[in-house]
Order: sequence, then structure tokens, then C-alpha cells
Amino acid sequence: MYLTVPFERAWHHRELIRAVVRRELKSRFRGSLLGWVWAIAAPLVMLIAYTFIFSIALPVQAQNISITEYAGNIFCGLIVFSLFSELAYRAPLLLHEHSSFVKKSIFPSEAIAWIASIRGFVYAGISFVVLLVFRLVTAHWLPGTVLLTPLVILPFALMMLGIVWFLMGLGAFTKDVAHLMVSIVPIMMFATPIFYTLDQIPPQIVPWLKLNVVGDYIEMLRALVIQGQLPSPIMYVVCVVVSYGIFLSGYGFFMRYKSVIVDVI
Amino acid sequence: MSSDVVISCRGVGKAFQLYSHYNDQLKQALLGFWKNFYHQHWVLHDVTFDVRKNERIGIIGRNGAGKTTLLQIICGITTPTAGKVEVKGRIAPILALGAGFDGSLTGRENARIGGAILGLKRNEVERRLPGIADFAEIGPFLDQPVKLYSSGMVARLAFAICAHADADILIVDEALAVGDEAFQAKCERFIEEFARTGTILMVSHSLDYLRGLSDRVVWIDEGKVRAFGEPAPIIAEYRAAILGQTAPARA
Repeated sequence: MYLTVPFERAWHHRELIRAVVRRELKSRFRGSLLGWVWAIAAPLVMLIAYTFIFSIALPVQAQNISITEYAGNIFCGLIVFSLFSELAYRAPLLLHEHSSFVKKSIFPSEAIAWIASIRGFVYAGISFVVLLVFRLVTAHWLPGTVLLTPLVILPFALMMLGIVWFLMGLGAFTKDVAHLMVSIVPIMMFATPIFYTLDQIPPQIVPWLKLNVVGDYIEMLRALVIQGQLPSPIMYVVCVVVSYGIFLSGYGFFMRYKSVIVDVI
Repeated sequence: MSSDVVISCRGVGKAFQLYSHYNDQLKQALLGFWKNFYHQHWVLHDVTFDVRKNERIGIIGRNGAGKTTLLQIICGITTPTAGKVEVKGRIAPILALGAGFDGSLTGRENARIGGAILGLKRNEVERRLPGIADFAEIGPFLDQPVKLYSSGMVARLAFAICAHADADILIVDEALAVGDEAFQAKCERFIEEFARTGTILMVSHSLDYLRGLSDRVVWIDEGKVRAFGEPAPIIAEYRAAILGQTAPARA
């Protein structure tokens, strides 16, 4: 069945994916004294900085929202968006980075997308835990809807995998894709509700912003983690369908050109 | 394919797409259904042969004849442009030894990843690590980054990993040239041992060694199979052909 093929292939290579992810996670902090402390310190510093800048130094007041809730909103948006941008920047270069694997050994090149995505989601996960702790400390409670976050994160992960496959394949053919991402991603950032929420936006622009699926995921995550509400079911279903479509077509695109890609990098 | 055939190549051909402009690769990927942006360079034509279980096959041919490309196709690293390859069993390719290593990782970490690439489970790799260390004989360097290794040490580690992969088919591409005498002898002993249960495909320019080892020899010349069969007469003919061609140039 075509719909499940990417999962079957990944399951087949699970040992390899696990081995490479393990060493990438380990090697990221090798040679630093504090090691994993940095993985927690970096998002924490960022969270404190944004709380300060956007609530005290440069107050963008939203109605009926406390400073810490506002900071939580920003941080939640940033976690999702920095995951997106890290993968979008890295994806076009991934095959070049791993060219010795791809060209000289029987390495399944499609597995590189899983490896890069899992790695990205692990770091985002650390930031996410920092966010939960921050909410727990400042608001003294966490809504029960937090338990539903995997249902939002999962389709988001599938969408990211599809994007990585697509960019990775294109990036093998031309280095322009990497340069293009450097211009596109910052523009995407302004079209994404990170420093604002959709209810602060003139209503006639909102439908356009909703086309940005990354932003939709941010809104849904905020609803579950910070407001303690359920996201709109229509939005959720649309996001899941679109994400799964991106996932499958990204995989299809990469596999179609896989044999050519090995010869061109 | 019949039951004892483990590798079957049927009319295998490989063309590399040569582009006059780097961006033509992208145009080809996006608009290839409409127009071709490359010209093809065929490095293999219509290669057909079968390898039976437990056979030792030697592959000979001049530089650039297409030997390595053929091995890469059999391993599945690159796909053939024409024809079909079928392989039964787990392959351990000792191709361009150690080229798949990551220089910033230690030998041990590369062994873990290398084992996983060859299809071993994590605990299987862990169990075999002492054996790999013994075989490679690189001592404390096993826990140093591979970028500090000499080329001989890289070859030792790469061979050691493939030797512990429980492979059914061993593919060796001029691998023994890098190691010192002692290691070469060790590898030859391993290959001798392996040949009792497994299948071997070996590219080598040491013709005397191949003649002793092989059951059959494939001679690849300009991308085609020029001869396939008994080692002694083919190697003699090959020797005559390459020396005959180079002798006038020297005179």
C-alpha cells in the first residue's frame, strides 16, 4: 500500500537510523564542558530574553493576557518555527554533508531525512519541556489538553519529513536551493504568528495567514498548552490531510530521483 | 533465477548523464519529461553473467573499464540504466575501503554505524566489537577519531567490520593493496575461510593472486564482458592484451 511505504522503509532501517541519530546527538556537544546543559540553557536564556524584551522593554500589549502568558505564546511559536527553519536551512545541504555515506556505502539515502528530523525534534522536545516547566512555575497549572499535544506534533513531524525530502532532493541538483532558503525562511517568519497571535491581526488578513500551515500548528499547540482549549476540528483535519499529502509527495519526489541523485552529488 | 544463483546480471548497462552546465541537472530533474539536457556516456553495456553460491569470482580489466561501477550496481549503491540485477543474501562490500567513514567519529562509532549499514542489529554489533578490534589490530586508536588514522589503519578497520557482518556475499574492490604484508596475509586467510560458506566477488590487479583464488574470472573491457570462465587462459590472454598495447608505446 503506497500510503504506508515510507514507514515500512524506515522501520526496515530502524537500527541504522537509531545508530546515526545516537552519534549525532552525542557528537553535538562533544568537546564542550557542560555538554547537555547547553541544550537546556539555550532555550531557557531565549525564553527569559523574549519575556523581557516583548513585555518590559518593548511592550506589545494584548488584551487580558499576562506577561508570562505572552512570553509563553512567543516561546511556543519560536520552538515550532526554529525547528522548521533549522530543517529548511539544513535539508538542501544534507546529501552533500553525507556524500561519503551515500556514494561509497550501501546507505539508504532516504533515511537521512528521518535522521535529521528526529534530531531536530529531540532538541525541540527539550525546549518544549522547558516551556512546560515555565508554565507550571508561572501559572501554577498545566491544562489537561497538554496530553493531546502528540496528536498535533505527529502530523507536524510528517509534514517536516516531506519538506526535508523535497528540499534534500532539489538541493542535490543545485546549490541555489540553500541560498533560496536563506531568503525565504525569514519572510516566512513574519508570515507566521510567532510574536503575535491571530486575534491581534486585522481580520481581512487572517485567512491568508491561515494558509501558512506552520502557523496553524503553532496556533493549535498554543491552544493545547497555554490556553487549555481544543483547536478547531476543521483546522486540525485540514492540517493533518495537508501534512500527510506533503509527507507522501516529498517521499515520492525523493525516491523518484534517488538513483539520479547518487550520480550527481 | 535458479536456486543456486546468488547474483544474476541480465543485460546490465550504466550511462552517466554528462551535463555541460551545472544547472542543467536541475533543469533535467524538473523538465526532464519534456526535453533532455544531458548527453549520455555509457560505461557499461549489456553485462550478463550469473554467480552461483560459494563461487569465487575474479574481476579483471584496465582502469576505467567499468569494474567498480559494476560492483556498485551489484551492491545497490547506484542503479543500472538498463537491464536487471538480482541478488540473494546479505552483501558486505569492501569498496574503496573506509571511504564511507566519518572522520570526526572514533573507529568504534564508525564500526557501530558501519555495522548498522550492513544490516546488523545494535546488540549484534556490540557483541562483535571485540572481534572487530582484534581483527583490525589498531589498538588504542579504535577510540580515536578516524581522521587521525593512516590509510592502512582505515583499511584494517573497514575490512574488520565487513569480516564480522555475517555476510553471504563479500565484494572486495582492490582492498588488499593498502594494508601491510601481515594484514594482507590475514585478509587472504579470512577470504580463504569465507569462501567455504560464502560467495566472493573480487576486483584485483594482482593477477597471480586472482588466478589462485578464483573459480571463474570476468574480464571487463570498455564496459563489456570480454571473457568469462576459466581463470588461467583468460588471465593469460588479458596479460597479453594489456602488455601488447602498452609495449609499443614504450618503444
